[in-house]
Amino acid sequence: MQNPPAARSGAISIRHLTKIYDPEGVNVMAVDDCSMEIGGGEVCMIVGPSGCGKTTLLNAIAGFHSITGGEILLDGELLCGPGKPIAKQAADRIVVFQNGALFPWMTLADNVAYGPIVQRRMPKKQALERARVMLAEAGLGSVAEKFPGEVSSGMARRAEIVRALINDPKVLLLDEPYRAMDALTKSIMHESLLEMYDRTKVTMYFITHDLEEAIFLGDRVYVMTTRPCRVKKVLHVNLPRPRDYHVLSSEQFRLLVEETSEAVHEEAIKAFRAGERELA
Amino acid sequence: MSAIAPSLARPTAPTGLMMLRHRIIKTFSSSGPYLMLLGIFTWLFFYWLFCEALSLPRFEKLPGPITVLSDWLSRDPAQGMSIFVREYYVHIFVSCRRILIAFLLATAVGVPLGLFMGWSKVVKDYTFPILETLRPIPIMAWVPLAILMFSGYETPVIFLATLASLFATTLNTMLGVQSIDESYFRAAGCLGSSRWEIFRHVVVPGALPFIFTGLQISMGVAWFSLVAAEMVSGDFGLGYLILSSYVNSVTVPMVIGMLTLGFVGWFSSALVRLLGDRLMQWRVRALATQGR
Repeated sequence: MQNPPAARSGAISIRHLTKIYDPEGVNVMAVDDCSMEIGGGEVCMIVGPSGCGKTTLLNAIAGFHSITGGEILLDGELLCGPGKPIAKQAADRIVVFQNGALFPWMTLADNVAYGPIVQRRMPKKQALERARVMLAEAGLGSVAEKFPGEVSSGMARRAEIVRALINDPKVLLLDEPYRAMDALTKSIMHESLLEMYDRTKVTMYFITHDLEEAIFLGDRVYVMTTRPCRVKKVLHVNLPRPRDYHVLSSEQFRLLVEETSEAVHEEAIKAFRAGERELA
Repeated sequence: MSAIAPSLARPTAPTGLMMLRHRIIKTFSSSGPYLMLLGIFTWLFFYWLFCEALSLPRFEKLPGPITVLSDWLSRDPAQGMSIFVREYYVHIFVSCRRILIAFLLATAVGVPLGLFMGWSKVVKDYTFPILETLRPIPIMAWVPLAILMFSGYETPVIFLATLASLFATTLNTMLGVQSIDESYFRAAGCLGSSRWEIFRHVVVPGALPFIFTGLQISMGVAWFSLVAAEMVSGDFGLGYLILSSYVNSVTVPMVIGMLTLGFVGWFSSALVRLLGDRLMQWRVRALATQGR
């Protein structure tokens, strides 16, 4: 019954990754010799202060930016590395953006159906039907024909995750997706994300500032150092799945937070002292 | 229970005549239309006061609102121009036809050009410096060249109006593309779009709000340069009407020509805006949820 490791899709290996930016001729080391192994189907939470370079890693995996050294592999295949500085953008790695990137000129259903249509995986009609079904599963059936500007930010964010999942990506890359949300909306978003994860078991690379969010959602939490970005601490979250908000008040959860918060706080202070702006 | 239930149900938007009724009631229950009437009345009053009631120095040669209106609406106008004179409509028609041709030409060239300039750095590098050099040249400075290049009355006038529109349309379209948030390009990229699909599904719709702002400006400058050109070279048209009336010392048709320009220009801008709203339902609806 057990799958051979190669078939477990969505494993990311980041090896000795280095990224140097040179805005105005001054070299800035954003990431320095950073290595990470993310197993297939794992929810990997990246916690670190603003501007530490965690988005740089995401951009490298997604193929938005080149890397300076090291390599990134997806299921053993080279995404970028020596001789191939920038990964090719493809629908096996889909990004959910910090400020939301649903196309405002398309309805939610058209947005969700967009991927399968442009990849020629489904005819338009079928893609739209599938999009409506998936939106309904996510509790968005009643707003499927609305434009993103007409729905709440929570609904839009959920629709954006549906837009990613319809493509059966190997990896979901989430760049602080719930940053601008109030605590109540956030908790609803967390539950729906957990529920979607339990159904799809997609690998997630999830960037956040919020340690409690990271422990609540993640299998592993990587605490990153401030620039240049390296792994400072790895926390294995052994809370059982499926999880719901009751976990948040458990003793086990509290201990995990306690174990990690010092490391996070240290880096936050360093980053604050450095006062550097985030590099895109 | 039953008294509360209907208001809890999601209200459905009224349609057709009910929608029209709703809009009319809403319009007239706000202060907008009354303030507009008050504004027009105040303006007309001072116009009348200065020209006709007091005949202030510098105003005494201008035809007042009563003189203009009575001629404009007269079957037998004293100075030869009114809504019952066939020639009046010929002037309007000729100007409108020129604007239509110039505007369509400028849009057909300017929008694609602006889109490609905003989208591709290579295209921008080729074209932008030339455009930026030609753009500040006032349209009137092109008049001699236009007359040298084109024969007759029609083509130089259309050329000048097209040129003026072209700059506004192209520049705004280019800015429109540049204003699109980078994350839309990235999102389209990781969803598996080809370069062409990104152009079709991100660049064009994303730039549309700016394009329509550009088209409104372009419509304005088209009228502006058309009238200027018609004054220099023309046989018909509202600009020609204004200048020839002045030359023949008939001031009422001059003012009628000016006011007509105002109305026709306003109407043409409204048409562009209407078309824009139709094409950008997503924007209209999003703004509506913000109460705008």
